[in-house]
Amino acid sequence: MELAKIEQLLEAYFEGNTTLEEEAILRAYFTKTNVAPHLQQYQPIFAGFAQAQGERSVREIVLPKGPKTASRWWVGIAATLLVAIGVFGFFNQEPTLTAEEKEALAAFEKTKEAFKLMSQNFNEGAEELVYIQKFKETKNKILK
Amino acid sequence: MKQGEFLSTVLPFKDKLYRLAKRILVSNDEAEDAVQEVYLKLWKNKRSIKNYNNPEAFAMTMTKNYCLDRLKSKQAGNLKIVHSNYPHSQNVARQIEANDGVALVFKIMETLPEQQKIVLQLRDVEQFEFAEIAKMLDSNETAVRVALSRARKTVREQLIQYNNYGIS
Repeated sequence: MELAKIEQLLEAYFEGNTTLEEEAILRAYFTKTNVAPHLQQYQPIFAGFAQAQGERSVREIVLPKGPKTASRWWVGIAATLLVAIGVFGFFNQEPTLTAEEKEALAAFEKTKEAFKLMSQNFNEGAEELVYIQKFKETKNKILK
Repeated sequence: MKQGEFLSTVLPFKDKLYRLAKRILVSNDEAEDAVQEVYLKLWKNKRSIKNYNNPEAFAMTMTKNYCLDRLKSKQAGNLKIVHSNYPHSQNVARQIEANDGVALVFKIMETLPEQQKIVLQLRDVEQFEFAEIAKMLDSNETAVRVALSRARKTVREQLIQYNNYGIS
């Protein structure tokens, strides 16, 4: 590559008017050993770019485990729903009884009613006992 | 999208993302963190990644935005970490004398305004077309060319200046 061409390209380069191909020509020229003395001052620029190009990232990329991140939100909702349904179902359980149990239950209800009636009557009777108390008080007053 | 498929789409340009992040954030560690963050974001949006016809350009834009945000919050927190650790080139013999100059070029690049830094990185290091760079930066080709020209000229001027004063 003749020097005049390089100088011309260099001028265009600093104006931002070179194509990638022309810049490749410049890079190739300046990374050679026999650079014209008056152009040697530009050598560090191209050497610097070449060196910058060699820089490599050494750290591994760490990504969160694949499908977990995508599914985590609906797993939570599903679990909550399941628990809610369970609790709801538990409290709304319809007791299923056999004929015998139904009969027993009916008998139990009847007995309960009978007892209730009895206790009602008994309470009425107990209310009458107040008079006896009164009688006792009066008797104590007289017979003291 | 399975993780394997995802990784085969996005891992090929990991180093490019890293280098862009490093150009903006300077520190190796910060750049690695940024790349990790960008990949996490890409992974979370993996459904939409298919809709972008160029995932690389999309990832570059994300990296740029993330790094600029980091820089802003860092400056706000008054925590500017600057430590440079340039990898050694294999071509040691030639590099030794040029090394001071190269280190200087890196140092000058650090002082460029963010936008110029990014354009210089995308063009002169990663060799993207102007149209691609314009798309990544949500800009237009003319603006990219102007920023690039300024960046290149600044590097040249500062390099010559340093050399003339013998400070290097």
